[in-house]
Amino acid sequence: MNALLAALAGGFIGLDATSFPQAMISRPLVAGALAGWIAGIPAEGAMLGAVLEAFHLAILPIGAAKYPESGTATAAAVFAMALSNPTHGAGMLLAAVFALGWERVGGRSVVLARQFNEHIAPTGARLAHASTITLRHSAAMLIDFLRGAIVTVAGTGLGYVWIRVLDSHWVFGPATAHGLLLASAAGCAAAALRVFGGWQARWKLFVAGAIAGLVAVIA
Amino acid sequence: MRSGAFVRTRMFLRSFAIQGSWNYRTLIGGGFAFALLPALRAIHRDGAEARDAAVQRHVHIFNSHPYLVGVALGAVAELEAERVDPEVIDRFKTAVRGALGSLGDALVWAGWRPACALLGLAFVFAGAPWWLGPVVFLVVYNVGHVALRTWGFRIGFRHGRNVADVLRRANLARVQTDVSRAAVVLLGMVIPLMLGNGGGAELRPAWIAAGVVAVILGLRSGNAARTPIVTGMAVALAAAIGYGWLT
Repeated sequence: MNALLAALAGGFIGLDATSFPQAMISRPLVAGALAGWIAGIPAEGAMLGAVLEAFHLAILPIGAAKYPESGTATAAAVFAMALSNPTHGAGMLLAAVFALGWERVGGRSVVLARQFNEHIAPTGARLAHASTITLRHSAAMLIDFLRGAIVTVAGTGLGYVWIRVLDSHWVFGPATAHGLLLASAAGCAAAALRVFGGWQARWKLFVAGAIAGLVAVIA
Repeated sequence: MRSGAFVRTRMFLRSFAIQGSWNYRTLIGGGFAFALLPALRAIHRDGAEARDAAVQRHVHIFNSHPYLVGVALGAVAELEAERVDPEVIDRFKTAVRGALGSLGDALVWAGWRPACALLGLAFVFAGAPWWLGPVVFLVVYNVGHVALRTWGFRIGFRHGRNVADVLRRANLARVQTDVSRAAVVLLGMVIPLMLGNGGGAELRPAWIAAGVVAVILGLRSGNAARTPIVTGMAVALAAAIGYGWLT
């Protein structure tokens, strides 16, 4: 796996989350597939991204809220999974748990970058001139890009050690790891119902969807 | 002097980076001035001092949903072109910023984005090729994303300070309700696909039962269920690894 390519992908994913262009490349569903494609494990990357997306459906970036940064954490977890080549069946579970922790670090780095922006962004009469405003704004975006790259590369290194060490002690096989991960992800996905109006208001539509999903599974 | 097509296009493209210098003091104030700069340059061709003064008026605190900021950008560019009193422009920005934030948050972050993500997840958990779910999500989401940005820009430029009336008439709350309804149906579909198909590897009945319990917890408690579910998963993993270590 090309480290420079991983850093570039991490930087772009970090940039997309807030700064530019918010096209949702930074969502776990896309970041996981992209990182998996880069690392040579596209199907595993896409599946880990989809599971992590389910964990994040109910988290909303409203206003100035401080929230975990899922995109760079997903990319780091997929890169770590590809590098560590787990053989005992717990690779995806370990990668997901790592991502759910590492996203806190990513979220903290976003807060620090925003605090730093107070010093370099064109925030007052002293700093705001037509000739320099583009430069200052671009500098803030470059810092965000570098932040995303560093968080992703550092996460890949730590995630590699995490998966490499712990997977060798997993004795319950891949089915148990997969079951634990998907059962947990389904619970977190269900939490999104409250975002859409809650059980009281929407239960009929939810049940209709569930019946359609069951028919698709049986068919 | 009113903004021409070239200036408007540059403003539109710059608006994609409106949050580039987001900070806790002025929020997207700096980004607002950055995106407005092509219009200010066209309006104040006569002198750098007037241009700098205009830029400095717009770096102060401002907030909006990034996809709807074009409404304010277009309207402010028109007001600046008409040489309206800066205090009136400031009052206009203060009046619209809350509405543009809350409308966008409800419509996009709590509606369109999770609905499109659920559509992508439905493809992944139904067993489609690995790339199809992410691509469907990206394409469908960004058609709506760019359409909303374009619409906001158009109405901002066309209606200037009267844009608030247009926003009210557009009835975005109704659109948000319809999107939410579609998202609920997709959510109902995705959960059986996750637990039934197991993402390509069939789940054992015990794990399906555990999943149903977790789903009930999620439905009852909303996002408050996330921490106990994730903690439970991490504790189960730690216990299993500990068992493996000892044996």
